[in-house]
Amino acid sequence: MKGQKFISKSAAQTKLLGIKLAKQLNGNEVIALVGNLGSGKTTFVKGLAKGLGVKDVITSPTFVLMKNYKAKHKTIKNFVHVDCYRLPAGRHGVPGIELTAIGLGDFLNQADTVVAIEWAEKLPKKFKPTIKLNFGVGKKPSERSIGINE
Amino acid sequence: MNVLGIETSCDETSLAVLEFSPKKIKLKSHLISSQVKLHAPWGGVVPELAARRHTEVIIPLLHQSLKQARITPSKIDLIAVTGGPGLITALQVGVETAKTLALIWHKPLIPVNHIAGHLVSPFLATSSWPLANHKTTWPAVALVVSGGHTELYLMKSLGQQKLLGRTLDDAAGEAFDKVAKLLKLPYPGGPEVAKLAKNGNPAAFEFPRPMLNKPNYDFSFAGLKTAVLYAFEKAKKKPKTSGQELAADVCASFQAAACDVLVAKTLKAAAAAKAKTIIVAGGVSANKELRRQFMAQTRSLPAIRYTLFPDKEFTGDNAAMIALAGGIEANEHALKPYQNNWRRIQARSNWELW
Repeated sequence: MKGQKFISKSAAQTKLLGIKLAKQLNGNEVIALVGNLGSGKTTFVKGLAKGLGVKDVITSPTFVLMKNYKAKHKTIKNFVHVDCYRLPAGRHGVPGIELTAIGLGDFLNQADTVVAIEWAEKLPKKFKPTIKLNFGVGKKPSERSIGINE
Repeated sequence: MNVLGIETSCDETSLAVLEFSPKKIKLKSHLISSQVKLHAPWGGVVPELAARRHTEVIIPLLHQSLKQARITPSKIDLIAVTGGPGLITALQVGVETAKTLALIWHKPLIPVNHIAGHLVSPFLATSSWPLANHKTTWPAVALVVSGGHTELYLMKSLGQQKLLGRTLDDAAGEAFDKVAKLLKLPYPGGPEVAKLAKNGNPAAFEFPRPMLNKPNYDFSFAGLKTAVLYAFEKAKKKPKTSGQELAADVCASFQAAACDVLVAKTLKAAAAAKAKTIIVAGGVSANKELRRQFMAQTRSLPAIRYTLFPDKEFTGDNAAMIALAGGIEANEHALKPYQNNWRRIQARSNWELW
């Protein structure tokens, strides 16, 4: 799927794409999601979580910055959902510190964990995700374009 | 029984001393140290900053609350602390303080679920406490609606609840905050949106009523937020009114859509459960339009005997509701199970109330 661009015609299709990407993960991946409000990031993450065998409902982590879920998968046991929406832009370096403070550090570089970060553009430049997804609105208002590692 | 309540789950440090008996409750002291200004530049609560501030203020606040209640530690019978859900670093300050007090004072300690606290908050008003133990009050359907929560419960009686439904994405209060942010209104955004909405036309934009006709009691506010964003962007390009009027219309139309869904789903659940009481609690329950709609719509329902909201001071996070929920739990099980149990208690950020 890498290096590709997808056009999703509905929220259900966006979610399905998340489920498909989940099938290609093994653990220790950090997935960055970039795109405006309402471009389908959380919908995609819902699919991703489902694909990893997360039973809980994925709700917005904006308020608490980070939510942890138990995954049911051969090699992946934890799924971490992070949201940088509320954080100021990364050049101040503060988001890094903030996310360290809530314990994100404990989940990075873990063989049995997948981390999905929304509004990843706010993270410091030196932060390198495994996979970067770009979300945008398509030609029709109901369409979304999703680019993977473009 | 004197209950000391401690709440630090988010951005309010709060302590309360509540005299509790099944017949009568009396709030002897209630202090809230709000951190709203501290977090305003960040557009939301920053967990690490919240925890530091809790640590700074919790002991002086404890001292003050005992003094105001004219009570010594020896007269405290029970400590009730918010154990979750919430921000883990913030919760830990209250929980560890409570454990320390339980250890050195030799007091029983109850970890209280934060949502369970909100569910009983309308009964903190002395006049409504008698309703809590009346058969004619129950069952109730309760909506907890705030920046972090949108959940619907069926309460068979006080302290006996079952989750009926919840938001599948954003909390209602979060949607208010996000709409405020896209209109560039100051934080916290909920009250600002409500303020602007007063001068706006609620029918100016036809926003979706998400999940309104789904056969369940779940909510969804992410799509509504997206609809607001697109409508606002589009209207800005071809302005028919001034920027201020446009913002007011967006706020009023958004608020109408959000209230419609909250009220309709709650009433649907109430009808299905043959509820006699509607309870609406949490930060967003301070919203006047939401209260007005609930009152207007329940008035025509003969099955609904009471529509209860907390007093304004108990809509947000507070220790009085935690003390009350702790008192109710202790009253059911007596104090013995909670003696010397500080070792077993830990803050739980994802503590779900089912």
